[in-house]
Amino acid sequence: MNEIVLKTEKLAYVYSDGTPFRRVAIDDVSIEIEKGELVGIIGHTGSGKSTLIQHFNGLLKQTEGTVYVKGKDIWANKSDIRQVRFTVGLCFQYPEYQLFEETVAKDIAFGPVNMGLGKEEVDRRVRQAISFVGLDSSYLDKSPFDLSGGEKRRVAIAGVMAMEPEILVLDEPCAGLDPKGRDTILELIKQYREKTGSTVIIISHSMEDVAKLATKVLVMNKGRVVAYGNVDEVYSRHNELVEMGLNIPQITSLFVRLKEKGYNVRTNIYSVEEGRKELLSILKGGREND
Amino acid sequence: MIKDITIGQYFPGNSFVHKLDPRAKLIITVLFMVLIFMCKNFYSLAFMLVLLAAAIAVSKVPFKMFFKSLKPIVPIVIFTTILNIFYVTGGTVLFSWRFITISTKGIFTALFMAVRIVALIISSSLLTYTTTPTMLTDGLERLLSPLNKLHIQVHTLAMIMTLALRFIPTLIEEVDKIMNAQKARGADLESGNILQRAKALVPILVPLFVSSIRRAYELAFAMECRCYSGGEGRTRMKKMKFGLNESVTVLLSVVSIAAVVLINNLFGKII
Ligand SMILES: Nc1ncnc2c1ncn2[C@@H]1O[C@H](COP(=O)(O)OP(=O)(O)O)[C@@H](O)[C@H]1O
Ligand SMILES: [Mg+2]
Repeated sequence: MNEIVLKTEKLAYVYSDGTPFRRVAIDDVSIEIEKGELVGIIGHTGSGKSTLIQHFNGLLKQTEGTVYVKGKDIWANKSDIRQVRFTVGLCFQYPEYQLFEETVAKDIAFGPVNMGLGKEEVDRRVRQAISFVGLDSSYLDKSPFDLSGGEKRRVAIAGVMAMEPEILVLDEPCAGLDPKGRDTILELIKQYREKTGSTVIIISHSMEDVAKLATKVLVMNKGRVVAYGNVDEVYSRHNELVEMGLNIPQITSLFVRLKEKGYNVRTNIYSVEEGRKELLSILKGGREND
Repeated sequence: MIKDITIGQYFPGNSFVHKLDPRAKLIITVLFMVLIFMCKNFYSLAFMLVLLAAAIAVSKVPFKMFFKSLKPIVPIVIFTTILNIFYVTGGTVLFSWRFITISTKGIFTALFMAVRIVALIISSSLLTYTTTPTMLTDGLERLLSPLNKLHIQVHTLAMIMTLALRFIPTLIEEVDKIMNAQKARGADLESGNILQRAKALVPILVPLFVSSIRRAYELAFAMECRCYSGGEGRTRMKKMKFGLNESVTVLLSVVSIAAVVLINNLFGKII
């Protein structure tokens, strides 16, 4: 088994405690994430996904429980919390609204400069980060406010990648993008993980995307973890997922229905391509029941 | 810290005070503020405070809420109290050492000022807790509508106020989000000297301005799409009614002017 880089123990967080607006956002969350894994977090809006990940780098301090990053309780020493933020890079939803510098290069450098790195190292990281997000270095001197929406998003993600965090956490990185922009971002994230070997945690609404990308899936519902395991394990509980208001991929539900009708098909099909192969093999080989 | 701001916060309810026409409430609140400054002895001051307490009791807004609204002004109260104690002279001298003199009048003035400021805040909080921002600005707009004759665009001003109040919570939320995003990139907002701290605000203020301007454009656009073209000829969805309840309460407030003047003269002025 690989090293466990991130672990939470009985994590709970309550918003506006002690007021009439009190709300338990997450409760009793205990998970372990191994090095190099790509974990997809899915769940209904308001299920506590964003709240959970803000605990990973100490932006929120849990009401109860403990967060361990590389085996250390992140709140053991309060003054080390900034260090934790460099180890666990967090990219918020709609990160393009955090851009503020005159040039793309300066904006991406914000994180590395805060880490106290030297000029040359900062420069190297900026160049590397911009290539990670698939933009060429001609972008570096542009103003971030002159870019298109998708480009801004990529620059903002590069700003987090430039810190070279061992764990990269992204909150709905594809929210509000067109299908092509979405695919680009997902592909870039996948490549980033392959190139750097870092652990990646990604919140997504799309069960298709998660199935394609993730090595593990974490399902949240009403502030609790209801399933955590590899893609096949979790998606095989499709009935529960649908009950929670999560849409399993259309192609998967097609095969689930076929199976229910008595056809002998696999149900762990997440892409149209896989589905095509499975159908063809059935049509040719006649694996039909009876 | 930033979430403690209670300006423009509405505390839902269904009391007599909540239901009163906002124009009546505005008039009464202004009257109250003038009267609390007209009080010249403890009896008239007590009289006004009893009226305020009665209004709070009727409104059913928990007393806790008023403490919350007082928190930010504690330093101001302390500062004016100290200033008054040392600077106001008159009456009998209680204490004197070199250039420092403390007199009875100084102490009374300090006490009165402190009570007045607190009453001022509490009464305006009562107004905002029991009146939605839209009702408030609507009421204000109508009270001030005679100013239209002087070519002052009362409607525009009221609309600006409504929008400003509406966007306070949005802005607070936005600041929170941006701060978190920059903290995630290692921004250090808590340490350093004044200059460093001011510089650390840039990564927060720039995105805040950018998004506020964007929001303003979007809002203007959405308003135009719904044919908004200023106050002229605009009708209202909610009719305001200045009925019996309103007339009686305003009348009673006017009567209390006479009461305060009477009590002031009857028992002698001490400041
Ligand atoms: N800043 C906040 N203040 C109060 N409640 C909040 C705040 N942020 C989120 N919540 C509440 O916590 C719950 C979980 O929210 P969130 O973690 O944003 O869910 P998700 O990211 O899965 O949509 C929601 O019910 C939401 O209303
Ligand atoms: Mg969220």
